[in-house]
Amino acid sequence: MIKIYLPELGENITKATVSYWYFEEGMSVVEGNDLVEMTTDKATFNVPAPCSGAIVEIMAHEGDVVEVGTVLATIEEETVENGSEEGEQEV
Amino acid sequence: MYPQPECHVVDLGMIEYQKSFDLQKKIVKKVIDGEVSDTLITCQHPHVITLSRMAKKENILVSQEELKKLGVGICWTDRGGDVTYHGPGQIVLYPIFDLKEDKKDLHIFLRNLEEVVIQALRNNFGLNAYRKGGLTGVWVGPYKVASIGIGVSHWVTYHGLSLNVRTDKKFYNLIKPCGLPNVKIASINDFFDDDVSLEIVRAMLLKSIQDVFGYHLS
Repeated sequence: MIKIYLPELGENITKATVSYWYFEEGMSVVEGNDLVEMTTDKATFNVPAPCSGAIVEIMAHEGDVVEVGTVLATIEEETVENGSEEGEQEV
Repeated sequence: MYPQPECHVVDLGMIEYQKSFDLQKKIVKKVIDGEVSDTLITCQHPHVITLSRMAKKENILVSQEELKKLGVGICWTDRGGDVTYHGPGQIVLYPIFDLKEDKKDLHIFLRNLEEVVIQALRNNFGLNAYRKGGLTGVWVGPYKVASIGIGVSHWVTYHGLSLNVRTDKKFYNLIKPCGLPNVKIASINDFFDDDVSLEIVRAMLLKSIQDVFGYHLS
């Protein structure tokens, strides 16, 4: 399970508001997709998906004010199937 | 001496807000993918009120019918800030800049955008432009002259700043600018007897972008 954290956004910025989730729980995401828009006073910052997979749980909801380092959501990382190895095991 | 990073400047002239936003998004993707260099869009917009996702609708002080009558559009957008107005006579800059490892700081980027305006107004027009602690934007005397709101994706910036050069300020009466009470708005031309053209102010802002961000503009 991969945890998605609110990263450091800069000097004097300790918290941000969850302004928009681009995905819902259970949906699949591709590495690099913008997952969630966070808002500080005059900036929005899109937190990208660090891996491909499915969103398991959203912990920080729209309107929540969260601190840098807070877990925003978890993603079950997509596993790359390796058919030949599995096939060999079955034989 | 290191070569200056390249920044491509695109002047869109007068363009609908939504069209310029769509173009920004395309360029942002190209900058993220490394297909184009950092880009600076300059433009003006026809009358439009824009709101961030976090904006309060009540910060628009008149009805939609009234806005329609005045020919003022409304656009929801994904920048920071609350509500603002764009219109003819106002220069808008959209810096689409990749904030590299050593510059990943939204606070510094916002302060640098303010600095662009402050230097342009101080060095070329002798105006005592300044920032107000705790707020974002640029003021001259008690008047706010520039507003700033940005978006960032993959540490590439978009949206940006608007500076009133000869804006019809009555349109600001339609909103509570930035959602703040008692904000007094002014244009650069309010401080001079002779007309200051948008072209001159644009040129000064570009010079300032070079100085503050260290770009070679092309």
